[in-house]
Amino acid sequence: MNVLEAKLRKSFTPGKLRRFGVDVEFTAPPGVTVIFGPSGSGKTTILQCLAGLLRPDEGLISVGGERLFDSAEHVDSPPQQRRIGYVFQELALFPHMTSAENIAFGIRGNGSRKIDMVRDILERFRITHAAEHRPGEISGGERQRVALARALVTEPRTLLLDEPFSALDDTLKIDIMTDLKQWLEQRPIPVLLVTHDRMEAEALGGRTLLLKQGKINMQGKESVTV
Amino acid sequence: MSWQACVLTAKLATLTALILFALGLPLAFWVAFSPRRWKFAVEAMIGTPTVLPPTVLGFYLLVAFGSGTSLGRWYQHVTGGTLAFSFSGLVVASVIYSLPFAVQPMVAGIRGVDRKLIDAARTLGVRKLKIYREVVVPLAWPGLLTGLVLSFAHTVGEFGVVLMVGGNIPGVTRTLSIDIYDQVQDLNYSSANQTSLVLLLFSYVLLCLVYGFNRRSFIWTSR
Repeated sequence: MNVLEAKLRKSFTPGKLRRFGVDVEFTAPPGVTVIFGPSGSGKTTILQCLAGLLRPDEGLISVGGERLFDSAEHVDSPPQQRRIGYVFQELALFPHMTSAENIAFGIRGNGSRKIDMVRDILERFRITHAAEHRPGEISGGERQRVALARALVTEPRTLLLDEPFSALDDTLKIDIMTDLKQWLEQRPIPVLLVTHDRMEAEALGGRTLLLKQGKINMQGKESVTV
Repeated sequence: MSWQACVLTAKLATLTALILFALGLPLAFWVAFSPRRWKFAVEAMIGTPTVLPPTVLGFYLLVAFGSGTSLGRWYQHVTGGTLAFSFSGLVVASVIYSLPFAVQPMVAGIRGVDRKLIDAARTLGVRKLKIYREVVVPLAWPGLLTGLVLSFAHTVGEFGVVLMVGGNIPGVTRTLSIDIYDQVQDLNYSSANQTSLVLLLFSYVLLCLVYGFNRRSFIWTSR
């Protein structure tokens, strides 16, 4: 079973007067784990450390028992090898590629298998009509779906969602989250969702981690008010 | 206007621009992405020709190309000729002299690519080379093109380094800017004016094309 285990410490000194850091330890089983916390509490830092985009000062990260980072043993897998999907708040779709090319970008190999995978996930996320359009030519909701499809088509072992629904209205949010939920029911992987929105957290359900000044204040199944 | 000088200049500028594109691109990637602390020293070295008097660079290259150095002796041993006062020497000198004009816009173009796009590509399990080729290069293309064109245009306008390293040999090292100088020395102002006007118009049109293309690319990528 894919369980994400993380124990990490990372500190920054962005200005001489301010010191910031995260020091957390948690386990995320398959399903959605929501990370709540005020701005600057370290939510994105945690996701970046898990994805390998930031190097923790020390700690241990593993998925399904495989160590991706272990400061004691000098293990540090690059993001390319971690198989951790990441949907950024800004989505980070490649502006010069069509939706289909964006989704196909991470699929290994060529040929009909790749084409089939792209077609299937486009259908699954109801964006077939947007396949040949660039991100600048489609709506915000469609962009969100493309970003999710791009991260999921590579079959990641863990999915990180950094406030990807924040710019959408509630109806669209529920629509996309329903699609995501259906996908996850068939492929149980740990999903970490960073959000400020209670509705999002409740719609996707699952565990919650409350983060405050870089530390986990509370974790469990309870509903959390920040 | 001397057609011989015109063809020679076009040949020199094209070769220099192509060599600089091939050498400058990996160098620009290294400068843009390397975390090395001493990177500033390399950047300063690349930029030195922009502030160094061309005659100083020309003088040191002339010395380096001579038979008193191992480079000069090696070249003589391999080719039987000398780098100084030859077209090959002119190409080497132009590559060094125009290096910052190629690399600096390329670095700016590469650094201008949104870091989040590169991070997103990395989390998709894609190798670095594919990320560079399919994400960074297409998005940094305006900067890469500017580097290519500026290195070409700068080589067309070279004077000091060419005169020091190549002298003034018709058909071998006499480029358009040396030709203009010769015409002025001969008080042939009308011919000098004709050649100068061609160079002026050429430079202006070339920059218009680059800026026009970059504007279109900006609109396209920011849509």
